[in-house]
Amino acid sequence: MGRAKAALEWHGATLLQRTTALLARTVGGPVLVVAAPGQDLPELPNGVEVVADPVEGQGPMRGLATGLAALDGRAEAAFVCSTDLPFLHPALVRRVLRGFADATVDVVMPVARGHRQPLAAGYRTALAPLVEKLLGEGDLRPGMLFRHCHVTQLDDDALLADPDLARHDPHLDSLVNVNEPAEYAAALARPEPSVVVERFGALASRGQRGPRTVRAASLGAAAAAVGIALDRHVVAAVNGDQMTRDAQLPLVAGDTVAFLSSDAGG
Amino acid sequence: MVDVEGRGATSAPLALDDAVLRAYLGGVGLGTWLLHRLAPTGVDPLAPAAPLAFVFSPLVGTPLTTSAKFAVVAKSPLTGLLTDALASSRFAIAGKLTGNDAIVVRGRAAQLSVLLVDGEGARLEAAPELAGLPAAEAEAAVRERFGRGWQTAAIGVAGERGVRYATVSHDGRHAGRGGLGAVLGAKNLKAVLVRSATRVRIADPPAVLAAAKDLRARSFGPATAKYRELGTLANLLAFNAVSTLPTRNFTAATFDGAHRLAAEELHELRGVARNSCASCSIGCEHIYSRKGGGKQRMEYENVFALGPLCGVSDPDDVFAASARCDELGIDTISAGGTIAWAMECAERGLIDAPWLRFGDGAALLRALDLIGAQEGLGALLAQGSRRAAEVVGQGSIAFAPQVKGLELPGYEPRTLHAMALGLAVNARGADHNRSGAYEADLSGEHDRLNGGAAHVAATVGTEDRAAVMDSMILCKFLRGVFDDPFAEWAALLSVVTGWHVDAAELHATAQRIVLAKRAFNQREGATAADDTLPSRLLGTPLELGSGRVAALTEDRLQAMIDGYYAARGWDAEGRPAQEDLAGLRLGRAELHDGARG
Repeated sequence: MGRAKAALEWHGATLLQRTTALLARTVGGPVLVVAAPGQDLPELPNGVEVVADPVEGQGPMRGLATGLAALDGRAEAAFVCSTDLPFLHPALVRRVLRGFADATVDVVMPVARGHRQPLAAGYRTALAPLVEKLLGEGDLRPGMLFRHCHVTQLDDDALLADPDLARHDPHLDSLVNVNEPAEYAAALARPEPSVVVERFGALASRGQRGPRTVRAASLGAAAAAVGIALDRHVVAAVNGDQMTRDAQLPLVAGDTVAFLSSDAGG
Repeated sequence: MVDVEGRGATSAPLALDDAVLRAYLGGVGLGTWLLHRLAPTGVDPLAPAAPLAFVFSPLVGTPLTTSAKFAVVAKSPLTGLLTDALASSRFAIAGKLTGNDAIVVRGRAAQLSVLLVDGEGARLEAAPELAGLPAAEAEAAVRERFGRGWQTAAIGVAGERGVRYATVSHDGRHAGRGGLGAVLGAKNLKAVLVRSATRVRIADPPAVLAAAKDLRARSFGPATAKYRELGTLANLLAFNAVSTLPTRNFTAATFDGAHRLAAEELHELRGVARNSCASCSIGCEHIYSRKGGGKQRMEYENVFALGPLCGVSDPDDVFAASARCDELGIDTISAGGTIAWAMECAERGLIDAPWLRFGDGAALLRALDLIGAQEGLGALLAQGSRRAAEVVGQGSIAFAPQVKGLELPGYEPRTLHAMALGLAVNARGADHNRSGAYEADLSGEHDRLNGGAAHVAATVGTEDRAAVMDSMILCKFLRGVFDDPFAEWAALLSVVTGWHVDAAELHATAQRIVLAKRAFNQREGATAADDTLPSRLLGTPLELGSGRVAALTEDRLQAMIDGYYAARGWDAEGRPAQEDLAGLRLGRAELHDGARG
């Protein structure tokens, strides 16, 4: 690419910012970025942690070992991904993590269009010592790890059997990454996701009632699209989940955004 | 102090030290102090010896917007603990202008009577003709009999018959929670009338006028827009969108029929008027037309409790049920909560009432009539959901929607963890006005599904702010207009009273009032075991539209309760320190019995 992929922008946010914020709104546990030694990261959302790889040049297996070890005792499993997935959808993350309902599974691996996706997969955090051991033996290939543990593979059919994923990401664009300038240009050319906005209470007066579909990659963009200022009197919830006025909160296809008065109650 | 006995009343002034008034302000704070001093320990709330206090405030009678409020304070027949309820009306102004900071009533009249209080003292007048009348009709009748100079707080038939969640009302506004109407009814009093006899004393009139002008201007801003434009009912559709609308006795947090009951919908189709309380510039009351004629004021809490909580989505059924509650004089939240519990019991076959089903508006109205009449199933439901569950047994207490005996308001605790803590620990029981911790949950500044230390701090903060607002008194719908609440409130108090109060003193006052409430409840037998939520809410998660699961476990709630006790300086059992209790000024020295007159 000629420049750090984490800092590439897509509709108003860096890919790293979008990916970490998307994971934060999807999972209940911590979100962690593994940085290469000395790597200069773009701004991250509040609450996202950073750990640095102790060694340079050992590739994704090094990052996997560092990240899983940092989650020891805080999570049983982690969704591990690269930063260059502009179309990552929460439904894919949830589908992958559901694979750990089987207590014997160590890795949940999407296999899209016949290709394994180890950097958009789920890993047990207890694998950290094994990955470290393999690295110590000089084996830097993810494939070696999979020989030593129980991997569940999810092919296209298995992934799309999930109704949410099938509805919101039928072409599995979640797994599209941007390795070349042309791929990045193609990603930039795609429109922002289509989301539904609803306004409530005083925000719905003067003919503003009812759902409205807009294109918006972030909460701020959705607010702007319907003429709402995200000030202290307004708060939003995406799909009935957390209340927020974080303009950078990433939105994805199928989201429903509710804007309401922050002084609700009484 | 007014003692009612036989066919007469004797009144005696109780002079309060200025230090007590400054320490407790008025309203809920002063009422709590009075209950400490005047309620015999362990008294039956419906016994003649149980005091009922109408308490005014430093700000009432001033031109400050929303200040025309009074508190009614007593030991609750529903919870057996302290209860206090506010109402806004000209009764507050006239009551203050009788020259008293509070009117405390004890005893029992020989027959149904009304009590009149003015500058000359108190007198009892027999009023058997008022028996069975709705409060509004009783008000009209006494106005006709005694003249328009009197303002009246009255009870409906539910108060006369001892329904444990009967209200006291004036001008259509209810002091609603905890059964204060039953306490007044137990004294054989249909109404209390007050008449102005003096003028309001203000320390710095020009400063108060300037403050009033400023506050009034701020009351027209965006912080109150919701109340002005759609009223509290604006909560309903918004709460439904964020999975915090309790539905079918807390078995769900969204309601399919919510849009039919939404303020946005009703405003367009049926909105006919907007009203204000006395001395209020916000104007939050929204009036809707009823099918077949008539008008009805609707608020979020009565629509939630009589609508989604009972599974009822027809607005005409909910309007009719709300009007019936007004006529009977009962708290809509406790009525709806108790009936919703009974609907679930009936559907599970725990009680023999096959006609009582979720979603059946006619059944809802029938249940309300039975409660008002204290007949059949109504006699059981008139006791509130906790007592009724104790009678029915069979595990039904697990889904009785109450804390300390008071039915839950329309905020789903599993998706509002700060609010869950507030509901669990509040002195009044499950309550959204003394613990407005939902503000933190809905602010976007805390993870509302992951309660922890931040939620504890937020709960303490909202409780403290409520203690001051309810004591000085200002309407909480103004809360959003203050940037630095304690400092701004201290400034208001200072110019009205001449006390030179600062923010730190007022914050200490808030903590004192919270502590005094806790101390009263502990005196009456409350323990840490009462600080909890119904086990349904702790054991059954909710799935949100986002796919996430909202769970409030017993361990998480207990951790927050432990944090709350620590933040308050209480021990692990929720007991305040003796030295803190000693600072409450509960000694006899502050109370000087005057001559009976």
